[in-house]
Amino acid sequence: MISGLVQILLFQGLGELVTHFLLPLVPGPVIGLILLLGFLAIRKGVNRALDEVATVFSQHFGLLFVPAAVGVVMFWPHLKTHAVAVVTALVVSVVLTVAVTALVLKGLSRSSGK
Amino acid sequence: MTGQVTSGFPAIHEIWVYLSGSPLLALILTLGAYQLGLIVYERANRHPLANPVLIAIVLIAATITLIDMPYPKYFEGAQFVHFLLGTATVSLAVPIYKGLSAMRGRIVPLLAALVAGGVTSIVSAVGIARLLGADAAIVGGFVAKSVTAPIAMGIAERIGVSPTLTAVFAVSTGILGAVLARFVLDAVRSREWWQRGFAIGVAAHGLGTSRAFSVNPEAGAYSSLAMGLHGVLGAVLIPLGARVVGF
Repeated sequence: MISGLVQILLFQGLGELVTHFLLPLVPGPVIGLILLLGFLAIRKGVNRALDEVATVFSQHFGLLFVPAAVGVVMFWPHLKTHAVAVVTALVVSVVLTVAVTALVLKGLSRSSGK
Repeated sequence: MTGQVTSGFPAIHEIWVYLSGSPLLALILTLGAYQLGLIVYERANRHPLANPVLIAIVLIAATITLIDMPYPKYFEGAQFVHFLLGTATVSLAVPIYKGLSAMRGRIVPLLAALVAGGVTSIVSAVGIARLLGADAAIVGGFVAKSVTAPIAMGIAERIGVSPTLTAVFAVSTGILGAVLARFVLDAVRSREWWQRGFAIGVAAHGLGTSRAFSVNPEAGAYSSLAMGLHGVLGAVLIPLGARVVGF
């Protein structure tokens, strides 16, 4: 578990360095993700410690969003005046996104014979 | 609360002043609210509406409003949890790597669907918000909202819109996606688990993925693959696109 965390933190650090000095357009964690992916491809496998940590993170990903999302209190009055636009945009957009993605997948995988 | 201090035993408001000055209070609040959310979610038989993240956010927002704690003060303590978002993002490499071998032979439909879904998400949200008269700050918050929150916030910083508002929209999108995806997928007659999972992951990132995992493991794997790919592509393409249209 600890060695998995160390591996991930190392790649996160590496990603931050690359972002800071070379590629300011891409967020550090994304670079870290890509580098770790490359490392896994070279090693041809996921070691157990890394797998454990990744599983814990993916199970409780939601918790990590909480502090930022509580920021809704700062925008509350502003959001309330635009409530109709905000709610409509959120709902319609998510429905369309799911539908379009699913339809493209269905259409393309049928034509290529699955 | 008398405010009197008996020797060796501090009055309750002193305990309060001490606690609220340390990150501990915000951390207890954050984890405690999430734990309560999880209990409710389990009790409600994992009903999508009893989303533990939503419950935690509502509880914390209500509490800090009630005790008059300004948001920046709360965040000072909660930032330790927030920091782990970056770490969790890096760890997405693991499900993506595991999903890659399953992707073979499906790469063209998956990438085409990802691009189509990503563009739909941005264009529809920004278009509708503009049409209904939302101001620039709100419209900006919609640009990155289908990308998983940590990456979305990074993108928001880079294109100069509010990361907090982006996070709020990203989390709302995730919750809505987790609740609505099933009905939409049934309506468009999507039957294969891998297709259903991928569609949820493109639209509703992390929250959609944890929902997908709780329904079907194959759907969950494809959903996390979609979330990861959407995050990586979004991080590269959205700032470039924003530059081109002069956002």
